[in-house]
Amino acid sequence: MKHLPKHIRPRWRYLAVEIEAAPAAEIDRTAFQRALWYAAGNLLGDAGSADADLTVFGFTYADGIGEAIVRARREETAAARAALACIDSVDSEPIGLVVRGISGTVRACEESYLRDRSPHLVEEPVAFADDQRPAIRRDDVAELSLPEGFVAATELDFH
Amino acid sequence: MYEAVAAYPAGDSTVSRQARTAADYGYDGLVVRTREADFDADAIGDRYGIEVVRGIEVDAADPQSAAGAVGNYRPECSVLLVRGGTNARNRYAVETDRIDVLTRPMAGDGDFNHVLARAAKTHRVHVEFDFGPVLRASGGPRVQALQGLRKLRELIEQYDAPFVVSVTADSHRQLRAPRELRAVGEQIGFTADQITAGLEAWGEIVARNRNREDERFIEPGVRRGRYEP
Repeated sequence: MKHLPKHIRPRWRYLAVEIEAAPAAEIDRTAFQRALWYAAGNLLGDAGSADADLTVFGFTYADGIGEAIVRARREETAAARAALACIDSVDSEPIGLVVRGISGTVRACEESYLRDRSPHLVEEPVAFADDQRPAIRRDDVAELSLPEGFVAATELDFH
Repeated sequence: MYEAVAAYPAGDSTVSRQARTAADYGYDGLVVRTREADFDADAIGDRYGIEVVRGIEVDAADPQSAAGAVGNYRPECSVLLVRGGTNARNRYAVETDRIDVLTRPMAGDGDFNHVLARAAKTHRVHVEFDFGPVLRASGGPRVQALQGLRKLRELIEQYDAPFVVSVTADSHRQLRAPRELRAVGEQIGFTADQITAGLEAWGEIVARNRNREDERFIEPGVRRGRYEP
């Protein structure tokens, strides 16, 4: 269909979202989009969810860290932020996320707020709670494998 | 602004991992609810620029055993929390001056009323708004949690009782930034200022208790000074 004249096009805002999950978690764009729609539908209702019109634009994710750009209507950024905060897991993988900032264009959003972090994982045992434990390390943080399950730690805990 | 979290061994992340994420999200401090957690507050503070405070959350079956635990743990920690969730525990917590925070009052069978709200104000016990189920539950349990928060909010507003806000995170992935919490709060009927006040109240409790632990402190408004050797 012919696109709308400029003055009656919807105004958008782009939210830069940083995502953090377990190093082994597999998350893709469709799964994140689905989780976002569910979160928005449950928190804002069908009407609010339709108003906010949340769409995942950019999505990069690898080995536990990722970034997404989420488009929302200009007047609904607060609702969009709230819906994002209510995503606690994607495909039953728990995720942490934070909105780094909001921009009027995708490019400004990428340039201002997204850092394009590299995962750079190293698998090596570390000393934790008086024992050597297998761990996956990235920078100063690590995901340790203990008998009772995975524990997230930083290098301050290694001794 | 402060947040209060459970840490390894009760949670899935160590104190330093929680502190790293909390500092990244813009919190000034972190209250650790787990008694067994082992951490070095100064090292974490130097590394990540966040104040880590030892708290203890007492989770007892009934008021009698809670009273014993309160007596034992009060000297060990800066913030003493008591888990609510039954009417007896809620009532015990809001009527005890030595307790700083009543957590999860509406969880399970717990309920709150005007008598408890008045008592909380009199005894200066902060009542916790638990945002955990709002962020992580769904369906019926979430609806019940929202109903509980609404009832609690109306009573707290009416009687001007002190309150704190927390997401009761067990892992650093469950933490959310203050701005996100304000946005969620506004969706469920809070004002942004209430959420900010609830997060700042943790810091006020810490400051108040530090002042009390000061050896020059005698009672509120009275300090050892020039004329008291």
